[in-house]
Amino acid sequence: MDLGLVVYAMNLAAIYALMAVGISILWSSVGVINMAHGATFAVSGYAAWIFTGAMKPVIAGAFGTSAMATLALAGALVASALIAGALCGLVIYLLAFLPIHDKPNFQVRALIITLGLNIATVQTLLWYFGPRNQGLPKIFGFGRWEVLGTRIRYDQAGTIIGATLIMALTLAWLRYSRKGLEVRAMMQNAEGAAYSGISRQATALPVLMLTGALAGMAAALLSQTIFVSPTSGTIPLVKGLTIALLGGLGSVSGALIAALLVGFLEAIIGAVPFLGQRYVLFGTFIFIIAVLVIRPRGIGGLLDDTRE
Amino acid sequence: MPELLEVQQLSAGYGPLRVLHEVDLTVRAGERLGLVGLNGHGKTTLMRALTHMTSWQQGSIKLDGAEIGGTRSLGAGRRTSGLVRRGIGVAPQGDAIFPGLSVRKHLECGAHTKTAWRTRQERIERIFDIFPPLRPLEHALVGKLSGGERRMVSIGRMLMVEARLYLVDEPSLGLAPKISERVMTALWDLPVEGAMIIAEQNVALLTGRCDRVIGMHAGRMRGDVGHVGLG
Repeated sequence: MDLGLVVYAMNLAAIYALMAVGISILWSSVGVINMAHGATFAVSGYAAWIFTGAMKPVIAGAFGTSAMATLALAGALVASALIAGALCGLVIYLLAFLPIHDKPNFQVRALIITLGLNIATVQTLLWYFGPRNQGLPKIFGFGRWEVLGTRIRYDQAGTIIGATLIMALTLAWLRYSRKGLEVRAMMQNAEGAAYSGISRQATALPVLMLTGALAGMAAALLSQTIFVSPTSGTIPLVKGLTIALLGGLGSVSGALIAALLVGFLEAIIGAVPFLGQRYVLFGTFIFIIAVLVIRPRGIGGLLDDTRE
Repeated sequence: MPELLEVQQLSAGYGPLRVLHEVDLTVRAGERLGLVGLNGHGKTTLMRALTHMTSWQQGSIKLDGAEIGGTRSLGAGRRTSGLVRRGIGVAPQGDAIFPGLSVRKHLECGAHTKTAWRTRQERIERIFDIFPPLRPLEHALVGKLSGGERRMVSIGRMLMVEARLYLVDEPSLGLAPKISERVMTALWDLPVEGAMIIAEQNVALLTGRCDRVIGMHAGRMRGDVGHVGLG
């Protein structure tokens, strides 16, 4: 396996991890399978496109074409995607959580409402912006490094580093902050959390905004490699969901490992001469189904040696 | 003594099933009340109805004179965290632990008020004084602990904040006699100002230590059992 393949695999894994971890945390703490995660992804991409488009002349006026200008543009892109993702989380909280969270069959209702939100959002984007792909400014530039004889594109390296950074921040927040402790408590035992005075309504909002921001980050990073379009959230949503399942819905470390596994699997299947890109989806799903048949709790079940 | 908890005509259940039938109950401040009865006669359901954890309920529940009951057919658990914050401490049946969190993190979870969170270090030390076996397990995951240790963690989590009313559901359930004796002794020795309701099947563990023992049968109160025949 050459280094280029590893970098490509890590690049895929970084995007998948951002989506899958968000879906996983949200399901186990709030109880929502967020089908609108793809819409969040697309909306964040468009928000970043509009905002950077508006900011370009301002930044050019202030910094010219110096390195500072690229930095400011990168900041504007990432910040607008993160904020748009978090705002999508707020909308989902208001529409798909707050009105129904104490009704029977909340999980199924939330699934249906978020699926509806997803379709409506994608159609609205299609209607307003049209189906054309939009290119975002390349904040990492077009160059590439030569490392050990392989070329690593800047956008690949930037994606891996950016995703790792934001994942580390998320995990640290979960681990060390008081709110993070409450979220983890709710993920592990909702009833025990209620008896500890942890309010589901008050915890759901930050979790939804955080997972939305993660999807926004994924959109900002993926837009460096491919274009933004109304339906660009679909593939990340499907991959994120299946990888979260593979990781054993509710296990953050399981989702991370699953994202790495699938990233490498896809890269390898794509590189094998007699398989190639068209067998990537096929191979991935066969793998995920095989794992779930053998270990219904997914990879998280392997890591977990505690009992209820 | 003033009435801390006043329950009137409380019915509750799950779906089409009615478990509690118009229960009346009064608890005075500082009182330790034992609740005895066979399996499936409504002890746990009463505890759950007091914290809105049943799937439906109706009837009046007054805590310190403020109405916290009412009629409800949906939203199990919706008000539970709020009621806990208003001063009901709960050690539920089955312990409701967080398997992937350490003992220390559990106790921190229990410190839900601002003051408790600020002074959580001293409070955790106090819990370790009450349950010395937990001290060496401070950083162990609770999912790996034994049943008795889990019970201590669950009760310890409840004790992190001073509540007006403590609800302890079957503290001896599933424990070896020696360990359940230890847990009960720790409960009795607590310098608790609020009232405490302890549901228990093992009447011998309550003997001579409660202010009052009430029997439950088929979802109804059988009145004060007193200490007649309990030694």
